[in-house]
Order: sequence, then structure tokens, then C-alpha cells
Amino acid sequence: MVYIESWDEFVDRSLQLFRADPQSSRYVMKYRHCDGKLVLKVTDNRECLKFKTDQAQDAKKMEKLNNIFFTLMVRGPDADISEASSKEQMEQQASKKGRGRRQ
Amino acid sequence: MVLLQPDPFLNELTSMFERSTEKGSIWVTLKRSSMKCKATRNKMETSGQPIEYRCLVRATDGKKTISTSLSAKEYQKFQASYATVLKAHMNALKKRERKDRKKTVEPEKKQDSSKSNSSKKRALSTLKPSK
Repeated sequence: MVYIESWDEFVDRSLQLFRADPQSSRYVMKYRHCDGKLVLKVTDNRECLKFKTDQAQDAKKMEKLNNIFFTLMVRGPDADISEASSKEQMEQQASKKGRGRRQ
Repeated sequence: MVLLQPDPFLNELTSMFERSTEKGSIWVTLKRSSMKCKATRNKMETSGQPIEYRCLVRATDGKKTISTSLSAKEYQKFQASYATVLKAHMNALKKRERKDRKKTVEPEKKQDSSKSNSSKKRALSTLKPSK
């Protein structure tokens, strides 16, 4: 089990691992409230990358990583994962609703 | 392994978090899946049919396992609700130590310059009604 110290390195290597084998790669999160610990794991059943933390700031970073993985898994490993695209879609949905009310 | 719709899955995940505050762990796994067995997938590949992939989400508390599968249309709404559930329950993690150190330093400064702070507060309060 490889525990990676740097968050950015964990993200880069796990995305690389997923893109290399999207069929067998999985992203696991383990949370223990009693210990206040969070562990993330990305593996393709050959190589394993892990990241552990007890910091609240890493939970916020993990949320962004969750969004990236959701997008990659549903749309495919070649999907565009810029965070701006998901925010733009939410804004577009909000503006469409606005137009409906004005009419 | 119980396969649920996204909304019941989130409700059940919330109850799992609530049950596991004193002891226990929650595991959540995300995986890309076509939800079809290998034989069916091979047949589809050879016949040229496009395989639709979904995102499989599994959650367990060590005893009970629940799962749901997301399509391209429903995943964004799920991802927002899922983030809300996590934010609401994952509050046992430590906050930044550096900020705590700053806070211990700042009140000492505030006590020395309390007059300047109160004048700032008066300035802010005058701004608010004008807006």
C-alpha cells in the first residue's frame, strides 16, 4: 500500500491510473467518525495509491476529486473534467428556469 | 447487496453515517461499469453495439451494503446531493492548526487595539444602512 504525502501528486497519479485502465480502476473512500480519519484509495487491482488525512481542508479537496471521478466514470476517461464546465451547466440550468418564470 | 435508486441510496447513506458516529467506518466506492456481465459485453463489442457505461456507487458500514448506478443524465444531481451529505456528516476532521495559532495571537492584539476595532465596527455599521 503506497500512502502518498502530497494531495496534488495523489490526484495526478490516480487520474493517470484510472485513464490507463478505466474498466478495472476504482476509487474508494473510508471515513471513521470516531477516529476523525479519512482514507482515499485508487487502485486497478495491480497498483494501489492511498491518501490518508485527518484535516477538514482535505475533505473539501476530496469533494472536487469526487466530482472529477463521477464525470470520468460516467462520460468516459477522455471526458473534459474542467470544474468550470460543471458550474457553467448549473448556471445554464438556473438561467433557463429564470427565463421560464419571466415569460 | 441492495441496488437502489439514487435518492433512496442517499437517504440510506445518511442513516449509515448517523449510525456510525460512535464507532465503525463508512466505505464508499466509485467504479465505472456497464452493469452487464463479461459475456454480454463481449457479444455487444463483436456485434458493434455501443456499450453504455454507468457509474456504480457502493456504500457499506461493514455490515450492510447498498449500491446505486448513475447514468450520464442523473450523475450531476447526485454528485451535488452526495457532496451535501458528506459535508453534513464528515465533521470530525481537524481544522487547520495554523489558523488556530493565529487566533491565539490575534486576541492578544485585539485586547491592545480594542478601541480601533470598535471604531471599525462603528464604520461598518454605518455602511450597512446606506446599502
